[in-house]
Amino acid sequence: MNQLKGNNPGRRTILVCCGTGCLANGSAAVYEALCDALKGNDKFEVETLAKATGCNGLCEKGPLVKILPDDITYCKVKAEDVPEIVEKTLQQGELVQRLLFRDPATKKYYKSHHETNFYKKQHKLALRNIGEIDPSSVQDYLDRDGYQALEKAVKRMSPAEVIEEVLKSGLRGRGGGGFPTGLKWKACAAVDNPPRYVICNGDEGDPGAFMDRSILEGDPHTVIEGMIICAYAISASKGFIYVRDEYDLAVKNLTKAIENARERGYLGKNILDSELSFDIELVRGGGAFVCGEETALINSIQGNVGEPWDKYVYPAEKGLWGQPTVINNVETWANIPVIINDGAAKFASIGTEGSKGTKVFSLVGKVVNTGLVEVPMGTTLREIIFDIGGGIQKGRQFKAVQTGGPSGGCIPESLLDLPVDFDTLTQAGSMMGSGGMIVMDDRTCMVEVARYYVNFLAEESCGKCVPCREGISFLLETLTRICEGKGKLEDLDLLESMSCTIQQAALCALGRTAPNPVLSTLKYFRDEYLEHINNHRCPAGICKELTEFYVDEKLCTGCGRCRRNCPADAITGEKKKAHTIDPEKCIKCGECIDNCKFQAVKVK
Amino acid sequence: MAVNSEQTADRKAMGKIINRYPPERRYILAIMQDLQKQFNYLPKDALQMTAEYVNTPMSVVYSMATFYKAFSLVPKGRVVLKTCDGTACHIKGSNIIIDEIYKTLGIRPGETTADGDFSLETVNCLGACALAPVLVANDRVYPKVTPASLREIIEENRGRRDESTERE
Amino acid sequence: MKVTIDGKKIEAKLGETILEAAVRAGVEIPNLCYIEAFGGQGVCRMCMVEVKDGEQKRLVASCTYPITGEIEVQTNTPELQEIRRNIITLLYRRAPNSDFMKKLYQEYVCPAVEVVDPAEKCIMCRLCVKACEKVGAFAISTIMRGTEKRVATPFDEASPSCIGCGACAEICPTGAITVKEENGKQEIWHKSFEMSRCEICGNYYSTLPVKEHVKEQLDNEVSGENLCPSCRRKKLAGDLAKFSIK
Repeated sequence: MNQLKGNNPGRRTILVCCGTGCLANGSAAVYEALCDALKGNDKFEVETLAKATGCNGLCEKGPLVKILPDDITYCKVKAEDVPEIVEKTLQQGELVQRLLFRDPATKKYYKSHHETNFYKKQHKLALRNIGEIDPSSVQDYLDRDGYQALEKAVKRMSPAEVIEEVLKSGLRGRGGGGFPTGLKWKACAAVDNPPRYVICNGDEGDPGAFMDRSILEGDPHTVIEGMIICAYAISASKGFIYVRDEYDLAVKNLTKAIENARERGYLGKNILDSELSFDIELVRGGGAFVCGEETALINSIQGNVGEPWDKYVYPAEKGLWGQPTVINNVETWANIPVIINDGAAKFASIGTEGSKGTKVFSLVGKVVNTGLVEVPMGTTLREIIFDIGGGIQKGRQFKAVQTGGPSGGCIPESLLDLPVDFDTLTQAGSMMGSGGMIVMDDRTCMVEVARYYVNFLAEESCGKCVPCREGISFLLETLTRICEGKGKLEDLDLLESMSCTIQQAALCALGRTAPNPVLSTLKYFRDEYLEHINNHRCPAGICKELTEFYVDEKLCTGCGRCRRNCPADAITGEKKKAHTIDPEKCIKCGECIDNCKFQAVKVK
Repeated sequence: MAVNSEQTADRKAMGKIINRYPPERRYILAIMQDLQKQFNYLPKDALQMTAEYVNTPMSVVYSMATFYKAFSLVPKGRVVLKTCDGTACHIKGSNIIIDEIYKTLGIRPGETTADGDFSLETVNCLGACALAPVLVANDRVYPKVTPASLREIIEENRGRRDESTERE
Repeated sequence: MKVTIDGKKIEAKLGETILEAAVRAGVEIPNLCYIEAFGGQGVCRMCMVEVKDGEQKRLVASCTYPITGEIEVQTNTPELQEIRRNIITLLYRRAPNSDFMKKLYQEYVCPAVEVVDPAEKCIMCRLCVKACEKVGAFAISTIMRGTEKRVATPFDEASPSCIGCGACAEICPTGAITVKEENGKQEIWHKSFEMSRCEICGNYYSTLPVKEHVKEQLDNEVSGENLCPSCRRKKLAGDLAKFSIK
């Protein structure tokens, strides 16, 4: 960004985050208000330009507006704030303090988001351009070394050298499996049976994860460039990007990016005057979580129901239409240009012994700073949740962090100092998955969380094989009974035995990992199961049948906050006197307990 | 008569969508997505035309139409309420929102009100986890929904129920 | 190449599945969704076996795992026994009304479970769908997904492509597909068919569309006679006898 300053000192760029999170908070109106304000305004001595960018990560504080080259970040900007920003900051060079990022712990204001803990500890490779460029502009991408890696690969490296570079980088698949990317490419290139295909798996369906969406929306060209480099390395002629149709903005930005890449000669015949001819087709997914599984995704592209098949022969050998196919996840593709540009050695210098580079996590749940974070492999859970994430909301107690999507596991406080990589998470009974990280506090019931994930998988299982279809149905029924207070002690043994069968016998990775939420909560939070079964009590106050809230008279100050928040009018009490909850009227929504500043609302 | 001309017009629109793609099996998904967008559900006629066009058995097309969550075989309400039940939304009380919608409108996920005003769906994640719990009414996103704000959202949307049909 | 199954050395062809090799060698591996003519589906997972490839041990479905090297296979370890018992338990829980599953549930000494629907018989082995495909009718398919998945005709209505051949019901291991036959009519999958009557014995033996279908498939080379299989055999034998006397 210093470049901008040097080249054009009078020019200012205003970036408005238009990622999904900020859009939901009204950033489109802010963008329009800015454009209007800047258009007819001749008071400016500087040339000013407003741009809509992809997601900055800190969705919690959106809409975000960044002013360059001053490097000012304004948070939670509304259209009404625009005149003040224009007048004070753009015309008089002053800061609008109330819009600056304020650290809730130190109460300090920060001029730039780069100074905050949320960004300081991050290391952006896959997300390097997001929030910095207008994703609909290929020129913006080119200005930040876009398509340089492709040029380097095609003009100065042999296909074998490209594969060797990816192998040496130690890059492992970011979609969940963690299979070495270079090996996949090498195996595919070795099968003498053209045509070969390249696929980008953008069927992100994990509840609570949105890194792929953010990359596809905010920096579509990096994915396209990664795929073209692979096509060169394995001599593929055709590529497919499979993306969730619900991701409107991603579909729109990708469509435009593919067109622009064609216009510029990065896609099509004789790319950069080489022998390479390659084009990419966009396939919109039909909404099936299982299509994140490679073989199910391939079936879906072929015009079938998205059911997986036994992968005893890898898609690298027999994939799309039976041909050799490389299929990688969005984030994996986004890393390829970085590896080729900066070299494998530099990439491999980041991370741990077995897991190189960085990983993007979607840090959500009961954490202060929710958003996308990219950190070197090996960063501890504590650093991610407490240093970057700012700890638990409302000062409550940390209970667990769930990683790896619906079929990941819940990790307890005792393992918070675990350095996060592919292998450590698996050892802890969870997994990396595609990078969902959901923080849970003492108001999260671990039995109910297990039930929630199993319920999700019951709907999302393709239903092909017995262990997954019937096994998950069994787990769900049993967990639901426990949540309703009808569980028996024997249930726990059968839960474990069935879980084991599902892990060993299910056809695909979705099925084999489906019992993880059950097994990990049984391992680390067995007490909560026993409390539900033996004492018919849900300690977190979540399972409705087992919950009754009451007000502790000694702690209640009679502030009336709970009474005003209660949607069921179940709370009564005079000002400055202890309130009471009518259990008959109470709908157990938890608004009172979550909003009480004096911890006076308790679970019976 | 009116019904007949409406049917003919519909069939014409279906044909137009289907013909945008080459007659190959792999375009079934794309065709169905476009049909769903146009009609808000997959009419039986449209599925039959698709099956014939791509020369694939109807049982296969029907199998796909019921497998993928993007498709509906019955018409949806004028306003489709989508509650996000992704993990972030779930642990922040999306099930309470779903319960409240049932109390107010009498519909559960996958159902439509008798007057055809509202449909309720749950989606796994809208990717707006920082704003949990999230509700989407047609294309409008409502962040951090509470039982109280939900009632306002429903009232607000009763007024705009015809917007979606006008837009087409 | 040589593979070992339960200590027995057998000769296997490159690319054939473990189950195929085992069947040839007379080694039994339990399965519920396998028929040689259809190939392995990988659906029921009863045929899971333990494969030792070099130092690496793993559990695989024997009906889909292709043999590409010299491997050692175990088909009945305690681990596999527990998997099979659990699979039978799960399938009985789903289809408790089938005698077939009741019997297996007893044989495998399964734990007590609450059944889902006491009237259900289908275990979703999909053999019926495969059979329908083989016949060339494509009238039924799996619909929905996850725990809701089931076999049906489109819209649960009579399918124009169903010829009432009954191959689906014939192959079903649990008797889950109902075929009603009365007064010269056969009802299956919401559709009623006129039956064809044998010219000689007068028994109903096939639906009319099946006759048409067979005729089409065989390029009309079959004579137009209306004969049931048993009368046809008798007649053919008679014709041949005449021929040999000459």
